[in-house]
Amino acid sequence: MVVDDLFALTSFRVHDEPHIRINQNTCAKCTHRACTFACPAHCYEWSEERGRIDFAYEPCLECGTCLLLCDQGALDWNYPVGGFGVRFRLT
Amino acid sequence: MEKKLKAFDVIVVGAGPAGASAALRMAQKGLDVLLLERGETPGSKNMFGGMMPFFPVAEEIIPDFWEKAPWERHVVKRILHMISGQSSTAMEFESDSFNHSPYNGYTLFRPIFDRWLAEEAQKAGAQLLCSCLVTDILWKGKHVTGVAVGRKHGHVRAKVVVACDGVLSFLAQKAGLRQAFIPSQMALGVKALFRLREASINERFNLARAQGATCEFLGCTNGIRGGGFIYTQAETLSVGMVLHLDALKKSGKEPYLLFEEFVGLTPVRRYLKGARLVEYSAHLLPEGGYKMVPKLFTDGMLVAGDAAALCYTNGLNQEGMNLALTSGFMAAETVIDAFRKGDFSSKQLSQYEDRLKESFVLKDMKTFKEAASWMHSERLFSAYPQLINSIMEELYRSDGKPRKKIGKIGWDAIKGTVSKRHLIADLLKGGRSLVW
Repeated sequence: MVVDDLFALTSFRVHDEPHIRINQNTCAKCTHRACTFACPAHCYEWSEERGRIDFAYEPCLECGTCLLLCDQGALDWNYPVGGFGVRFRLT
Repeated sequence: MEKKLKAFDVIVVGAGPAGASAALRMAQKGLDVLLLERGETPGSKNMFGGMMPFFPVAEEIIPDFWEKAPWERHVVKRILHMISGQSSTAMEFESDSFNHSPYNGYTLFRPIFDRWLAEEAQKAGAQLLCSCLVTDILWKGKHVTGVAVGRKHGHVRAKVVVACDGVLSFLAQKAGLRQAFIPSQMALGVKALFRLREASINERFNLARAQGATCEFLGCTNGIRGGGFIYTQAETLSVGMVLHLDALKKSGKEPYLLFEEFVGLTPVRRYLKGARLVEYSAHLLPEGGYKMVPKLFTDGMLVAGDAAALCYTNGLNQEGMNLALTSGFMAAETVIDAFRKGDFSSKQLSQYEDRLKESFVLKDMKTFKEAASWMHSERLFSAYPQLINSIMEELYRSDGKPRKKIGKIGWDAIKGTVSKRHLIADLLKGGRSLVW
């Protein structure tokens, strides 16, 4: 599988504070949870047992897909602090 | 951002192609320019799966632009694959006329190209500040007078702000120039870069030396509106997909799994054999065409490049970087004029729109303004590639059954895949979008 290696090869400078914050109460009521499949970096995963989104901001590619697809207003979405986040080398 | 920044003539936000060309031009004409970039280096947040087409003002921005820029390959060959199930029909165009400098189009790496252009702006006297995120616009009444930067929201003032902050232009939004972003006007691009020996690339795509090819794929997206692509760089292939966001949402599919399927398709797999994955990236693209272009100016501010949604596809041409560089240049020319007159009002800056309208930038976008909505038909991405492949297969298949003429094959294939009503509607709409 190519996918298994995909995420491992992108370079990041991760900031201590997340640049995206999510409102779990809103996500719990969301009917589509499009972020959980459409995010190309797989930052969002619905956890049935915890009844919440497991969210990782670290591998975020800063594309904005989640921001566009979230119609519930659950996201406080910002770019990472200047100089942090994804750093494409050749792309 | 501890250092107190002085006031500048102009602040350019974003050191991509639009921003760097604007900054470069204004610095050349003696303006005091600050070029801000949120990435560690220009281009480090940018993704490109593509070819930059030739455009004329390049030589005005940098003499010998086409000789000096850090290209990967020049494109002499364009291939369109239509995929359906196990079948694939390809159309290949190649021309020796694309093999003379200045070439018709080039492949490149954004972290390298964008950095080069921003450094040219620096050499011309612009001040480049990287790792600097712009967080807000500063106002005096209805007039934009600068930007807030960094975590401490330090203020930097200027007579004019040129917003080249990319597809998610929060600045254009904050300035009230554009409405909210909507999924039906955006596409997600996912791309992986694969390393492959130069000789293997040349052999597989039948190229010589620095010649390059582009491949586009239709019918490879599981019925989701979008397509696949392969672009050749010197020793790498850019392989990826573009997926309309609203269609992706409806599909419930993961983009990286769609990508996995794509690279498994026979024609794609063959190009990639033995290639090593080196980098994965994703980015949004403005896909709304002419109708998505926001208001381009207000008092003390202009918008250029992806931030102004200056990007389009008509199915065959995918253009963005050339529009970004040209719009940056035209924004610069407008600002230079504004300084001559000492007038930074919306009325004075409206010249920018006139310039874009007179150039290929808004002319092309207007010519293909119907294409964006035409390409919102799902049939283009599954039924038609299927139709074409079933006709081709029937034409070539030898099984001892009596052969039919092409018309009959075509008609039978149509009956199985698309209704007459849809076919006529699509032909008319497609015709209006692209043909006449």
